[in-house]
Amino acid sequence: MSSDQQAHGLDKDRLSWILTQMVRIREFEERVKQTFEEHPGAIRGHTHLADGAEASIVGSLATLRSGDQVLATYRCHGYPLALGSDAEAMMAEIYGKKTGLCQGYGGSMHLVDTERGFLGTSGIVAQGIPHATGAAYAAQIRKQGQVVLCFFGDGASKQGAFAESLNIASLWKLPIVFVMENNNYNVVTRSEQEDANAAAGEPLAVKAKAFSMPGVTVDGGDPLEVYGVMHTAVERARSGEGPTLVESKVYRLSAHGNIIAPPGVPLHYPEHEAITVFGAPEEYEAALRGDPVPRFRARLIGDGTLSAEEANAIAAAAKAEMESAVRFAWESPYPEPEEAVNYVYA
Amino acid sequence: MAREMPYIAAIGEAIHLEMARDESVLYFGQNIATTDDDPFLAAFGHDRVRVTPISETAEIGMAVGAALAGYRPVVELYMAEFMLVAMDQVVNEAPRFRYMSGGKVKVPLVLKAGYGFTAGWAGQHTGSIYSMFMGVPGLKVVLPATAADAKGLMATAIRDDNPVCFFHHYLLTLEHGEVPEGEYLVPFGEAAVRRTGKDVTIVAIGWMVDRALAAAERLAADGVDAEVIDPRTLAPLDTATILESVAKTGRLVLVDQATRHGSASAVIAAEVADQGFDSLRAPIKQVTALDATIPYSEPMERFVLPDEDKIVAAVHQVLGSAPVAA
Amino acid sequence: MSERDPAPIVPSSAALEGPAALALLRTMWRIRVFEERVGVLKRADEVYGLIHLSIGGEGVAAAVCTQLRDDDVVYSGHRAHGHAIAKGAPPDRILAELMGRSDGLCHGLGGSMHLVDVEHGLMGATGVVGGNIPLALGSALATRLRGGDAVAVSFFGDGAVQAGHFNESINLATLWGLGVVLVCENNGFAEFTPRSAHTNVERVCDVVAPYGLERETVDGNDVAAVWEAFGRFLEVARRGGGPLLLECLTHRLRGHYEGDPTLYREAISATEWQQRDPILRLARQGAAAGWFSAEDVARAEREARKEIEAAVEFARASPYPAAELPGELVYAGGSRP
Repeated sequence: MSSDQQAHGLDKDRLSWILTQMVRIREFEERVKQTFEEHPGAIRGHTHLADGAEASIVGSLATLRSGDQVLATYRCHGYPLALGSDAEAMMAEIYGKKTGLCQGYGGSMHLVDTERGFLGTSGIVAQGIPHATGAAYAAQIRKQGQVVLCFFGDGASKQGAFAESLNIASLWKLPIVFVMENNNYNVVTRSEQEDANAAAGEPLAVKAKAFSMPGVTVDGGDPLEVYGVMHTAVERARSGEGPTLVESKVYRLSAHGNIIAPPGVPLHYPEHEAITVFGAPEEYEAALRGDPVPRFRARLIGDGTLSAEEANAIAAAAKAEMESAVRFAWESPYPEPEEAVNYVYA
Repeated sequence: MAREMPYIAAIGEAIHLEMARDESVLYFGQNIATTDDDPFLAAFGHDRVRVTPISETAEIGMAVGAALAGYRPVVELYMAEFMLVAMDQVVNEAPRFRYMSGGKVKVPLVLKAGYGFTAGWAGQHTGSIYSMFMGVPGLKVVLPATAADAKGLMATAIRDDNPVCFFHHYLLTLEHGEVPEGEYLVPFGEAAVRRTGKDVTIVAIGWMVDRALAAAERLAADGVDAEVIDPRTLAPLDTATILESVAKTGRLVLVDQATRHGSASAVIAAEVADQGFDSLRAPIKQVTALDATIPYSEPMERFVLPDEDKIVAAVHQVLGSAPVAA
Repeated sequence: MSERDPAPIVPSSAALEGPAALALLRTMWRIRVFEERVGVLKRADEVYGLIHLSIGGEGVAAAVCTQLRDDDVVYSGHRAHGHAIAKGAPPDRILAELMGRSDGLCHGLGGSMHLVDVEHGLMGATGVVGGNIPLALGSALATRLRGGDAVAVSFFGDGAVQAGHFNESINLATLWGLGVVLVCENNGFAEFTPRSAHTNVERVCDVVAPYGLERETVDGNDVAAVWEAFGRFLEVARRGGGPLLLECLTHRLRGHYEGDPTLYREAISATEWQQRDPILRLARQGAAAGWFSAEDVARAEREARKEIEAAVEFARASPYPAAELPGELVYAGGSRP
């Protein structure tokens, strides 16, 4: 075990857990993507994948304890998986089936699993940040030591909702960590085209100064680095000292989402915008070479934490689990049409 | 036991009582609890009562998040127009969560905002934009016209497990009315018949209820017996009471301070035309604001708004009669 | 170092003195007298609705707006009378607007919070806090496309800084290098709450620091200092630079609105006000520096009073507008829905 792992207090079980969740997320997202080829029409609308962000997601969630809560964006598959949501129910939700996590009402962008602390998402950029801030306010006055993690992308940091929420969270010293997954893209726009700090070559964490809170940038491709930074931020929040802005640098390995097209046009995942829009295939190839999942696997095998067999077993289990999830989703029934008018009001 | 109190105080009393009854009720917004002796702050403490910066998106979004996490926030927004700054949170977030989650969560919150301040507050502070929120599934919209209803509807709004837009009319702020003491709840979806009559049904909203009642007195002198209905809540809307009245009178006049195509009266008129067509003996008439931003100058401001004269004229129109010369 | 330092600004040679100082004093007296008169008229119900006075803020309005041309545009907020007068809008037509008369700047349609005088570059005031800031960006963008060196200025208070649209505007203005000067009158209060209830960050300049735009904090009651700082900023903007933010620390002598009982803060003592009053300070400074005489100062006040009394008569004599609205006011082109 390496010294930074020891310093983080992560034992083999924990490290193995981290790798397992990363692999599960990757397998799940690959299956979602493949559905567009294998079962065209099964998934409607817009899906957004977390492949490439696994280290950031799992490294962050590994710092939580029972009772903590998480909110995220429409790119939401990774968090509930790591928090323990049922992969079959999640896939069925994405397929719009009655057996889905939200009974088919929400779809890919609106997964909710409150029992596991995943309070929900928003499909509108940045609008979940105030929600998370409100959940943190609730946690503060409930006085049970809970912390809230709020995940969003770099694009969201230009929205007024971001500024307003960070200001209030800082002023009220709310128990929240704001995790900006900076993948340098907002759909087909690069950060430096829309962000004054990015245009000046600065890390986006500098924005934290405007709200009198610490801002930290971390390599989101290394789950243990993420764990270290997030652990500090979560403990700071838990102790009542207030929020932190963590800029976690990731690279999304898929395009922003599947193509947007009217009914009748088959949906599919195009290539990454680096290739299709910016003509920079070398950027994408470099990201592939730095893929955090095989990287972490290789590291754990390399330093003796896991054997190759153990790592393979993790991979095989994940593959089997997600294949089963797809089968389950594919075979599950759709909801009855008239159920559409349920749950409008509590 | 009832006693006289102003409309605005009745609302505050409801919030206070509900906060005392249920620890999960929160109250926050701009410019509230600015001094330590503020009654809410003194009674319920800094955890539950907080002042916020000018940040409507965050205020309303935080209310959603706190509601998801088990609390029941009341957000003081002052004016319906400030909700426009945070329209996404009001229309596209708060009311949609329960549904999209397949019923897993609920979002109990109250957005308290004033409207209709047509007393020289000029174009951006005087609108009646409540109908924007009427057709949003998952959102409730309530508009009390009396002090008692202001108290009862606020209490119900706080106890309701859904997001509620509670719109209080600014011109009614100091209107006194008999308000019951203690716990007092007015149910949603129940219109109030303010005056019974047999010749014409007048449905009026908010401050227009009093204009309609004044018009009814003038009409009575003309030998016209008007029934005046106050829907009290626009979502849910009590169409049954309105249809029952129209079945009796055969004629309908709607009075709404909003502009014609932005009015609740247009929605009600469509419902009656659809479900009560056989009862109607004349076309439905709407008396609404003219299609203009509310002007600042008083004579123009008065001109664009509905008033007693216009209501009386509309009633005579649906009766096919001319008013008796004054 | 993660915070960018602004590029050094070449100091302007145009420090305040002589005729410019006297002109400022006159403008400040005109605003002061106007605002005090409006306060009296409001209490007598001759002016109605929601009124926000600039008493104490005359220095910033005068120091900024009198350096602008008619083709430079100014946007303001709900507390706009001072900005309007200093930008050149005639006080008699402003007062007629506050009284809802047909000779008002906006024919009685807008009122105190919605003053517009396109001829003098007053593009508008707004009643929604911070709502005008993005508009100033739009004007600056138009100037860039059209060419020329006109500048856009947006006035707002410290309360607006916590609103999302302020932050959105800072990012975009900085990213595009727009020729806009943002003038923040930081009086330490947003309506009825002190700044400390709104944010941890006391200085507005520190809020925008991460974006590295040119910025400075000055004593808003020191007219000469505001004049000098804004003069420098104006030069930068005219040369194609921007955005810039000038934070003026001021004091709002009256309540948030006329009628506000101001229970939420302590009244300032009369002696303290004597020290802070921008008019008195400039008068003292000018006398000491020999910019103008005591008689000049007295004359400035007298002429201001004469002008504002005439404005009152003008406004009182102006008829109310005809109730019928001309068709073209709702939609351009006169169409109706």
